[in-house]
Amino acid sequence: MSILTAEQQEIKKAAKEFVAKHIIPNAAEYDKTAEFHPFLLEAAKESKIFTMAIPKKYGGLGYEAVTQAVVVEEWGYGCAGMGTTLAAGVLGMDSLLIAGNEEQKQRYFDPILKGGIAAFALTEPGAGSDAAGVRTTAVRSGDEYIINGTKCFITNGGYASVYVILAKTDPSKGVKGISAFMVERGRPGFTIGETEHKLGIRSSNTVELLLKNVQVPAGNLIGKEGDGMKIAMMTLDMGRPMIAALAVGVAQRALDECVKYLHQRFPGKLQPGQTLQFKLADMQIQLEAARQTLHYTMNLRDSGLPYSKESAITKTLCGDVAMSVTTQAVSLMGSYAYTSEIAKLMRDAKIMQVYEGTNQIQRLVVSRAVLSPAPAVAAGQKAA
Amino acid sequence: MNFQLTEEQRLIEQSAHDFAKEYLDPVVEQLDHTGDFPKAIIKELANHDFLGLHLPADVGGAGAGFVSYVAVIESLSRSCAAVASIMNNQAMVSYAIQHWGTEAQKKQYVQALVKGETIGAFAIYEHGPTPGIGPDALAATKRDGGYVLKGTKAYVRNAGEAGVYVAFAITDSAEPNALTAFVVDAKATGLKVGPKLNTMGLRGCPVAHVTFDNVSVPETAVLGAVKSGREIATRVLTLASVAEAAQTVGIGQAALEHAALYAKQRVQFGKPVATLQAVQTLLAEAATDCYLARLGLRSAAQLIEDAKPFETEAAIVKSFLARLGSKILVDTCQVEGGMGYSEAMPLPRLFRDIAGTTLLDAPADFPDYAIAASIA
Repeated sequence: MSILTAEQQEIKKAAKEFVAKHIIPNAAEYDKTAEFHPFLLEAAKESKIFTMAIPKKYGGLGYEAVTQAVVVEEWGYGCAGMGTTLAAGVLGMDSLLIAGNEEQKQRYFDPILKGGIAAFALTEPGAGSDAAGVRTTAVRSGDEYIINGTKCFITNGGYASVYVILAKTDPSKGVKGISAFMVERGRPGFTIGETEHKLGIRSSNTVELLLKNVQVPAGNLIGKEGDGMKIAMMTLDMGRPMIAALAVGVAQRALDECVKYLHQRFPGKLQPGQTLQFKLADMQIQLEAARQTLHYTMNLRDSGLPYSKESAITKTLCGDVAMSVTTQAVSLMGSYAYTSEIAKLMRDAKIMQVYEGTNQIQRLVVSRAVLSPAPAVAAGQKAA
Repeated sequence: MNFQLTEEQRLIEQSAHDFAKEYLDPVVEQLDHTGDFPKAIIKELANHDFLGLHLPADVGGAGAGFVSYVAVIESLSRSCAAVASIMNNQAMVSYAIQHWGTEAQKKQYVQALVKGETIGAFAIYEHGPTPGIGPDALAATKRDGGYVLKGTKAYVRNAGEAGVYVAFAITDSAEPNALTAFVVDAKATGLKVGPKLNTMGLRGCPVAHVTFDNVSVPETAVLGAVKSGREIATRVLTLASVAEAAQTVGIGQAALEHAALYAKQRVQFGKPVATLQAVQTLLAEAATDCYLARLGLRSAAQLIEDAKPFETEAAIVKSFLARLGSKILVDTCQVEGGMGYSEAMPLPRLFRDIAGTTLLDAPADFPDYAIAASIA
């Protein structure tokens, strides 16, 4: 069901207000300077919105997935850069929700409940699309693991209080030799490297993490040794629709700005020809299809049904729609868009096709699901 | 029918390629970063005869045809599309004055434009829905044997750096469709250039609004006939759109080559990603779009060179690239993944630049009207 309940509508309204007050007025300036925005974390802390993915029994808001997507769409509407900070701050906790034990949950949700943010660190210079190519190692030594390696493109990396780090515990086992660890900020040997300067989502923080003989207690291992890749993939399943929600927000903003501009440019007498009518209709059609797909996928998750394929479909569709709708919007607004913050929407939309797995990787995920299992060979037919 | 450049055209293209390597490649990143007008490079373009490429020899031009012109624009754009934009706007002004100007106007401006001593700006757009309509439409009122210009031209490229503006104004508010072109010296009293706008890409080619606050010009400032401005503007903008298509192809080609090189070096899943079919498809489609766009625009350029009707073909090229121009960058960025989004790499700049050559002043439907009109 994708019609929002009264409660969800209230939450959406509150999210809109938060965005109007804290995000929209600051988005252009922070995009320009590409500076991080600690004020936003402070503001988000007040409303406890960071805790929306944390179950109520641990003190979080415990929103359903659909509700989370509604909130994240509003963040994306305001600014995909700041939205990325907030969304990743929430998503960083997903691995813990998936595989953390009670004690770990209590321990690591605590800093988030106090207003901190989390970061999820899978990507490495040699492990992008090929996520299994992780080279960071975690070697068991008594009651500890010693972690060594470099992570890159880590969202919130410079500001997180706690990190999920994927590392090889058994290099001989390939994908099955990867494990997931919680690593607290400030551990000796754990430093923040270069900050990435990006085409869009410029105010979100993207950095390199350098781990040199970082010691963590064995109790920081999430799940069992060798579960890391499975946890990472499930984390991405949860994260991708949230990226899609940001994308829907960006696309909605582009359409709204476009309509606002057209009314301003043709005050009181906007009589669009069919070419323009159809372009606007196509933007709306794509946008609405994307949003409904997103809500459906979130419904699957809330219902406890498998949604891995739908997650990939959603992220691909919404990312591509955001790119297409923002491009069309810039085209319809022409030089005005090119010389104003409208162009930011197009730059921001581009990342939606890239992060949390490129849309090419999503298509691999979808095609695997489509091809598996092989259809039964009908009687009388021979298998090819 | 020969689809290849002639030997002479090829040599001109090669010289632009060499120029780009020597003068543009070393500074393109800095130019993009600062957005400063590259004065010295424009002078070098003049020294290498590029600013007069399209003009006859008697005004200091190189007398090359439009095919060579677009080949040069493409080559320059492969390295730096902003410089190609400046040159293209310069050419719009020198072409208009050479084509419609009086001897005195030509003498005063064309050589100076060819030598890069003066920068030209073509001021057509306004804040209203279309030039001539709207509260601040540029209006020319007859007074004392001349005209007084009042109003604002919007999004003028080369504004601020220009020594001469070709500005389009209405002379009769009852006839908003009848524009008249004026050649206005930048030093004219009352001509005010607004702050440089912060453009997404093509940074280095300045864009600003230009306000004419009761600017007095003599009658001799009229370019061509009174009320013939729309014809002048249409012709110049259509020519420029073919050149802009060459910019798009240049940018697209640069992106394609960078992505292909990256794909050959980037190893994932134990092999270069260039060996993956999904990556090959992205690159192949981008190469296809570039190739077909280049053929289309060169065909239109040949018609222009042969003084044949070219308006429909120019519209077709523009329409094709309004749909596919940005797609080339959207796709090539995918090939480079996260690196394709990093400003430390060239693709983000090309992404921002190509939006400027494909999405603007093409209220993407206008070429379609022109094409449809030619069929029916």
